[in-house]
This record gives sequence, C-alpha cells and structure tokens, in this order.
Amino acid sequence: MSAATAVLRRFKFSREVVLLGVLIVLMFVMSLLSPLFFTVGNLLNTSRFFVEVGLMALGMTLIIITGGIDLSVGSNVALVSVAVGFTYAAGLPLPLAIVFGLVVGLAAGLFNGLFITLLDLHPLVVTLGTFALFQGLAYGLSNAEAVSDFPDWFAYFGQAYFLNVVPGQLFIFILAVVVVWLILSRTRFGRYVYAIGNNEEAAHFSGVPVRRVKLALYSGIGLLVGMAAVIYTSRVYTARGDSGLGLELDVISAVVLGGASIYGGSGTIGGTVLGVLIIATLRNGLVLAGVPSTWQVFVLGVLLLVAVFLNEFFRRREE
Amino acid sequence: MSEVQAPTPTEGGTTIGTGLRRWLVRPEAPALVFLAVLLVAFSLSSDKFLSGSNLESILVSVAVLGTIALAVNQVILCGEIDISTGSMMGLCAVAAGAVATSTGGLILPLLTGVAVGALAGAVNGLLATLGRIPSIIVTLGMLYALRGVILLVTGGSWITGIPDETRVLGTGSVLGIEYPVFVLLILFVVMELVSRHSTWGRNVFAVGGNRRASRLAGLPIDRVRFTAFVLVGVFVGIASIIYLGRAGSVQTNTGTGLELQVVAAVVIGGTSISGGRGSTLAALTGAVLIGVILNGLILLGVPGIWQDAVLGALILLAVATDVLRRRLLGDKS
Repeated sequence: MSAATAVLRRFKFSREVVLLGVLIVLMFVMSLLSPLFFTVGNLLNTSRFFVEVGLMALGMTLIIITGGIDLSVGSNVALVSVAVGFTYAAGLPLPLAIVFGLVVGLAAGLFNGLFITLLDLHPLVVTLGTFALFQGLAYGLSNAEAVSDFPDWFAYFGQAYFLNVVPGQLFIFILAVVVVWLILSRTRFGRYVYAIGNNEEAAHFSGVPVRRVKLALYSGIGLLVGMAAVIYTSRVYTARGDSGLGLELDVISAVVLGGASIYGGSGTIGGTVLGVLIIATLRNGLVLAGVPSTWQVFVLGVLLLVAVFLNEFFRRREE
Repeated sequence: MSEVQAPTPTEGGTTIGTGLRRWLVRPEAPALVFLAVLLVAFSLSSDKFLSGSNLESILVSVAVLGTIALAVNQVILCGEIDISTGSMMGLCAVAAGAVATSTGGLILPLLTGVAVGALAGAVNGLLATLGRIPSIIVTLGMLYALRGVILLVTGGSWITGIPDETRVLGTGSVLGIEYPVFVLLILFVVMELVSRHSTWGRNVFAVGGNRRASRLAGLPIDRVRFTAFVLVGVFVGIASIIYLGRAGSVQTNTGTGLELQVVAAVVIGGTSISGGRGSTLAALTGAVLIGVILNGLILLGVPGIWQDAVLGALILLAVATDVLRRRLLGDKS
C-alpha cells in the first residue's frame, strides 16, 4: 500500500514527465504506422495545426483553473473568420479587416465574461448559448458563402516558412506560451487565478477582485481565439461560416490531458503545451495512417473522457 | 392578458397582487406568457399561422424534440446536464433502422432503439456518478464518441427503405390526433405523474436543490442521477422511432445539433439550469415555444441559416430572465 502511494505521489510531482513519456511513445508508434511521420518536414508541418489549438488552449488553461469553461471557442473562430473575410470582401483594407477580426474575437469573449459575471451564471450555460449564437451569426452573416480571394501576403500568417523549414506561426505560439506562463506563474493575477479556482468565496472575501479577473480571462481567450482564427483563415485561405467547427473538443481535451482539473484549482502551462503536442501528434499520425477524420473525432472524444477520469482518479487517491 | 401581467412583478400588496405573484413564481409562467404573445403576434402577421393544420404540424414537428426534452428536464432538475442527445438519437435511429429493414414490425425496432439509448444513457450515468466526471464533460465526450460509433456501424452509408409498419409512429394517427403528438402528450402525462407523485420524482428535486443536504438526509443521490441519465436514453430511443417514421431514412448526420435545441427547450421553458427548480410543463412549453418560433420565422421569410443564432439568443435570454426574475421577486433560493 505504501509503495503504491509513493508511486502515486511521484506521479503527481512528475506529471509533465509522464506526459513527455506518452508523447515519445506516441511518436514511436506513429513512426511505425507511417514512414512519413518521422521526417523533419512532417514534424514541423504538424506545428501548423497545433498553433491554433495551442493558442486557445493557453487561455482555456487559465479559465479551467478558475473552475470555468468556454465551449464557444470553436464558434468564435468561425465568427472572426467571417468578420475578417467579409469585411475585406466588402472593401475594407485587409490589415484593418484583420484588426476588426481581432476586435470581434475580443468583443465575443467580453460578451461571455459580462454575461457570466454580471448575472452570476455558470460559464457552461452562457458559453453553450454563445456556442450556438456565434455559430449562427457566422452562418447567417456569411449567408453560407465563402471568401477566398485574399492578396498573396495574407498567406504570411498561416503558410509562411522561416528559413524554409520552420512555420512562421510557431514563433507567435512560442511568444504566447512565454507571456501566458509569466502571467500565470509570476504575477499577482496568476495567483488570483489559482485562488479563485481553489475557493471562489474565500478568494472573494480575501479581497481578490473575482469578477474583474474572470472578465479579463474570458476577454483574453476571445483575443487568443481572434489570433487563432486569423492564422486558421490564412492557412486554409478561406473564410467560411463553418471554420473551426468542433475545435473546442481539441482545446478542452488538450488542457485536461495536460493535467488541469476540470473542478478548478490546478493546472500548468507546461502540462497544457504537452497536451497540445500529444493531440497534434495523434491527429497528424492518424491522418498519415489514413484514418478518416470522423474517426479522429471518436478517438478524441474517448481520449477526453479517459483523461478526465484519470485526473480525478489520481486526485482522489492523493486526498 | 399578457399586457396586464407584464408590468406587475414590482410590489403588490393586494390579494390579486399576491395571487399574481404566486403564479409568476411558477417556473413555466414567463414561457407561457411569451408563448401567448407570440401566438397573437404571428397570427396577426400571417393569416396562415392560426389554422388548425399549421398548429398541429408545429406540434408534430416538435414531437422528437419534446419527447427528449421531457427526460433531459429531469437531468437538469438533478443539477446535471446532457448534451449528448443529438448523437444518441442518431445512434438509436441507426440501430432501430437496421433492425426494421431486416425484420420489420414496430415492437422489435422500438425495443432496439430503447435498449441502445438506455445503454448509452447508462454509460453517461456511470461516468457522471461513479466516475465523478462533470456531466458536461462526460456528455461532450459522448457527443463525439457516439457520432464516431454511428460512422463505424454504418460505414458512412444511409439506411433507407424503412417498412411502413415501423413508420406508423410517425405517419399514422389515432382518435384524430397524429401519433407523434399523441406519444408526446402520453409521455408528458406520465412524466408529470412520475415527477409529482413518485419517490424518484421528488428525490430529483431534492438532489438538484441541495445535493449535500440530500446526501446527509440519506437519499441515494448517485442512483437518482443515474436513473435520470438512463431515462434520457429510453426517451431518446422512443423519439428515434418517431423520427424514423417521419423521415423514412437515417443518415450519418441524423440528430446533429438536436442536443442544443433540447437544452434550449428545457431552460426556455423555465427549468433552472442550476437544478432543483422547474416542472414537466416547462419542458413541454419550451419545446412548443421553439417549434412556434422556428415555424414563425419560416412564415416571416427568415432564412434557415439564422436558426442557430436565434436558438443561442433564446438560451441566453432565458437564463438571463431566470436570474433577473428571481432577483425581482426576491426569491431566496
């Protein structure tokens, strides 16, 4: 019994190490499944896909640490994509259209935040409503049409290569990781985030500005969604009402796989980054192995359930 | 009628005021008032709206939604949520459809649909109670996982040629009422009785109202919640037979997006998303309200692509009204 608990305790302290092990094993399996997997080109190419999920997962980590959730991120991607594409098609210069898209993403996040804080509603209900609202607005405003006659330089955000191998958006992601990591682990705001997740009422009575922190978090993820949506639109070179459909599953799966408790109070940026890498490797490997995308969704759905179950199982064993 | 009631929830000292107040705190009151206003508005703006055939076709169109909403209502009353019903309905329809095309008849496909639904509901219930995973995560994962199972089972192809005797629940009528409406009303009466008069029905309110107190009072909170999730599966199974009857075929994307309409129906109807407060009538009212709104939008010429936006706005409006109404009426809960 004591040996078992010792192992479990070590597991707790080295969650990131375990995830790293999983990642390496996964890469090994994938390279057996497809000879194309372990090429430098493919590995770097994979990063194109995970930057969008990764940016949103950074914001989602902080939100899940406070005990909240945002189900509307996938729909918000569609809304921003449509906002950029259709204001550009209507004659707005593209740089301004991109800025407008970022503002739309931020405003959508702020809308979530205001609804949650002013009415004391559970984020789950609010973002379930905005999940449908944003998706519907994106469909309705785009009239179910697509815009894809962007100028060549727009490809820079999603298709550019640095030194001919490293995808450009990787730098944006690395920068975002550093910034969010600093905020979470080195600032008072970061401590507030954990405090709210551990005991919101106690945090409130200790003088933590709970509402303002939440408002900042939901607006912040809106901005990250905006950035992800611009990169996404640039990568697929099309703005459509169904962009980003279902991305919330990837994002939430990555965060809980990274060790953030869905009940709030715990989670790290390092864990989330590893979670994102594991999901990207899995998706990429399944594509290379010729598994249809609908099956990937099944695998992700099951993975999400297993990850949450293991998290809560180990957490309870520790207590 | 509604014009008189709208401004009153301020301060009323008279007996009429308190009577009105008591009526207004009923969970489904705002939805019923809203429904009445909409019925008047739509019948004034379109003379086709108030015809008997249009009203019955609205009820037929919400039969699948309403049936599932009646069960999800119980899950939400427990303080849980189920957003896997869209994929679950698809899977039940696939299973029932496959049995129907090979054996025919009504009973065997119905039992298959109900069994598959109950099994999926049991998985939801087990993970949410014994697994202690929040039900939103469980059912989000199941929403995607079950859709994957549909594609695995069907291989991406449609099921067509459902025999007529299986389709009777969607196409036939009894006592002058079309079967989908008949089934919906029967299930409504059953759920009303279960909710008001059975031990489980009362336990649902207790668990949703205060889970800790319920556990300390000795209520089997896990079993109560598990039963609610299984009930959703059973009702989804019944709904899938109505769907089979009306559509006559099953596609791999059958039921996509239904889960949102179901949750919307329940909360718009007036059942509180935080559990413990609501009624069976609320779920039915909400489902009819959604049917009336979607039907009205079509009559007014609003393109179908705006449906999701309207649905989302309605969910937000409903939960906001719920909070504001409780603050105005000074409800302590």
